[in-house]
Amino acid sequence: MIIIGEKINGSIPAVADAIARRDGEFIKNRARMQAEANATFIDCCASVPEVEEVETLHWMIDCIQEVTDLPISVDSPSAAVLTEAYRFCNKPGLFNSVSGEGSKLDTIFPIMAQAENKDWQVIALLSDDTGIPKCAADRLRVFDKIMKKAEEYGIAPSRIHIDPLVEMLCTSEDGIATNIEVIQTVRERYPEIHITAAVSNISFNLPVRKLINQGFLVLAMNAGLDSGILDPTNRDMLGLIYATEALLGMDDYCMEYIGAYRDGLIGPVK
Amino acid sequence: MSKLAEVVDLVERGKSKLVGAAVQGALDEGTPATEILNGMIDAMAVVGERFKNNEIFVPEMLVAARAMKKGVEVLKPHLASGSTATNGKVIIGTVAGDLHDIGKNLVSMMIESAGFEVTDLGVDVAPEKFVEAVKADPEVKIVCLSALLTTTMPAMKTTVEALSAQDFRGSIKIMVGGAPITQAFADEIGADAYTADAASAAQKAKELAA
Repeated sequence: MIIIGEKINGSIPAVADAIARRDGEFIKNRARMQAEANATFIDCCASVPEVEEVETLHWMIDCIQEVTDLPISVDSPSAAVLTEAYRFCNKPGLFNSVSGEGSKLDTIFPIMAQAENKDWQVIALLSDDTGIPKCAADRLRVFDKIMKKAEEYGIAPSRIHIDPLVEMLCTSEDGIATNIEVIQTVRERYPEIHITAAVSNISFNLPVRKLINQGFLVLAMNAGLDSGILDPTNRDMLGLIYATEALLGMDDYCMEYIGAYRDGLIGPVK
Repeated sequence: MSKLAEVVDLVERGKSKLVGAAVQGALDEGTPATEILNGMIDAMAVVGERFKNNEIFVPEMLVAARAMKKGVEVLKPHLASGSTATNGKVIIGTVAGDLHDIGKNLVSMMIESAGFEVTDLGVDVAPEKFVEAVKADPEVKIVCLSALLTTTMPAMKTTVEALSAQDFRGSIKIMVGGAPITQAFADEIGADAYTADAASAAQKAKELAA
């Protein structure tokens, strides 16, 4: 499972506060914690007005790179900001994100097509100018559009993380059926592609959110999810990921599961 | 770390993808093939001990045995006899009427890793089959019988009796095991040894063959 550590995001009040005060130690600490918890990428989102965003991301990325070699998921709703901020990264990371909206694909894909950026990956949301399509068929239409563009620019499916867009369960009419249908279809069509989700979105406005998050994660992984934007320092969540991979037959002799236990990543804190 | 020490370490950690190259490296350094084999056997003894002490889980023992197998493949052509069975030959099977084989396979693997050549007769093996198998190969030193069900314990008794009625009885040892089996039951039916787990079985086999 690819884990995109979500803890450095300006939409979290404590992080916003640290950014405002330019408290580098706070950012570094969160980067370190997530690296130690086996994150694959460290997500970095400023969540500040766009005029300050590039400069803020620069500072944040520098902080993260001071304490870990992990690749960074450069997170901004603005494609223009991404085209600036990715340059601050020491190594190829993840553009977070593009979608079928506006000219995002035509802004980011050409950068990814450049030889020197051949190891950069991207998260692609299945939304477009109409917003988040209601039904699975419409989201898959956005998916087709994204993949057509990717092919035009020569971006391999293995560099793309499709985000089927997780919305809150409490107002959903069909539970997660739409998400599951999208995940299964995408997985079927492109075995090499990554499918990601901002897992905790599912549980907004519900009590005991972790139960919902965990149930969602297992069901989504069963459908083909292999990447997630989540908190790797949440030991229950991380343990569940290892357990689910073993149950899905993706962990030869359960050695990854046992290894995570041996490394103290999962199970009771010793 | 010498290449031999590396082989030992890789077997203990179950790194089957790396162990072959390390064995080749040890051979290239001039380490005698038998010494490498014994190093791996000792590594498996350490793994078995850890398992017995509840320090590792079953899969960790399995991957160690698998790693050893990979190492042995590379080593085989370099051993004088072409055989890795330095300790002798063993016949193993689950007794008649019993289809369980997970425990039996584990024991088979561990005994093989202890330097024996193992012939696995499979599950639901009739007493005559065990007898024939021993007759067919006078080099057999040990026969291992497995039973998981209380209902197939009598079949284990029958099998021991069938083996004991043969002239070769004095030249073989009979080991028994399985969830419902106890030392008392083993004594009662005339088996030579009982062990509680795969690691102990491998260790016991070495003692019996010595």
